[in-house]
Amino acid sequence: MIVSVEKKYDTENNPNCYLVTYTDGAIWTVPLDEANRHYQEILEWVANGGTIVDNGA
Amino acid sequence: MPLNTIPNKGLTSRGYPSDRLVTPIIINGDMSVAQRSTSESSYGSVAYSTVDRFKTVFEVGTYTVSQESLSSGNAYNAGFRKAFKALVTSTAAPGSAGAQTTFEHRIEGQNLQIFKKGTSNAESFTLAFWVKSSKTGSNLQVNLRDTDNTRQVGGTYDISAADTWEKKIINFPADTTGAFNNDNGLSLNIEWFLDGGSNYSGGAVPTAWEASSNADRNVTNFDLAGATDSWHITGVQLEVGEFDSTTIPSFPFESFENNLSKCQRYFQVFGNTGGFEGITTGLAGSSTANWCQLTYVNSMRSSPSISFTNLVITDRTSADHNVTSIDNVHSGLSSLAMRCVTASGFSARDAVALTAKNTGSGYLRLDSEL
Repeated sequence: MIVSVEKKYDTENNPNCYLVTYTDGAIWTVPLDEANRHYQEILEWVANGGTIVDNGA
Repeated sequence: MPLNTIPNKGLTSRGYPSDRLVTPIIINGDMSVAQRSTSESSYGSVAYSTVDRFKTVFEVGTYTVSQESLSSGNAYNAGFRKAFKALVTSTAAPGSAGAQTTFEHRIEGQNLQIFKKGTSNAESFTLAFWVKSSKTGSNLQVNLRDTDNTRQVGGTYDISAADTWEKKIINFPADTTGAFNNDNGLSLNIEWFLDGGSNYSGGAVPTAWEASSNADRNVTNFDLAGATDSWHITGVQLEVGEFDSTTIPSFPFESFENNLSKCQRYFQVFGNTGGFEGITTGLAGSSTANWCQLTYVNSMRSSPSISFTNLVITDRTSADHNVTSIDNVHSGLSSLAMRCVTASGFSARDAVALTAKNTGSGYLRLDSEL
């Protein structure tokens, strides 16, 4: 289960990846790839009301 | 005619026609590969835990899940040396109607085209496996779930004797509706239902393909939730066509090397040996950000997620700096570049080395599972 998601940007200020924290304490760096299962879980988490932390570039 | 049944071509030692391209559809069906760990205690999660390629969706109670070494019994005598084992350590009723305990194997659509699903020539499926449990049970359910077309079909098996390995063979009909996508995405999920809330019962076992219905997925609950209840499985085999106990091809054993290589399409780990292990090198981009490039052991299914523990970046003075996060990644199917963040201590363009620490079994994990 996802606890939190933080959006990260690259050095050119483009969205780069997400840092996802799960209930078991695991933290995953997740690429912006729709075929990635963690990315799919983020989409589902947002659809169910989760809010991504976005501190900007 | 299914390839499996081509007659009179001569059989290999594995029982397949000698001209058959022997590529098992199930990966790690003999449970021999467990890259993450061989045992996890107090497990109650939805994740890939021990044996590769099998997902443990354990939302009811807690378990010790493990890769079990076999030394006797019918499965051992059939050539299997490893199995997956789930042992109940904390009993619980389903916490919610939607809670489930299932053991799952997920398959890419491009590896399923041989079933010709969704065409008039669609093939039937045969699933074989060895199973053992501390308790007996009847009409325990296994489902094939087509996630491309939201369809499902179910089959059942019995555990006739406690603590005894039994081989099960379940036939599933062909489906002329809904083709599997020919891509790297999830198309078929095989699920063994071990326990579940009320959302998953109340219907009937779907012996023909149907639109997915939760009420049909766990019609008779095995209720693997009692103290010291256990469930074990190995020798998972999926075949094209209809077979019974006398006609099913023998299990397609592969070398450990081949098996591991196939698993690494979905998961790779660097380190995790308990000792120092060099992973890769890179350059410091600033006093805290180090860019490291990594070529995968094998091409992966998709751009992988990255997880780590107990990694250090070593600079030109041989000083170690703990990696605190990996917050940028440029990844493809065969390599990546990642930004490893540490406390300050570097000069830009310093050559650096990324190493797994010997304490805490440091590792870097890449995950592109389904």
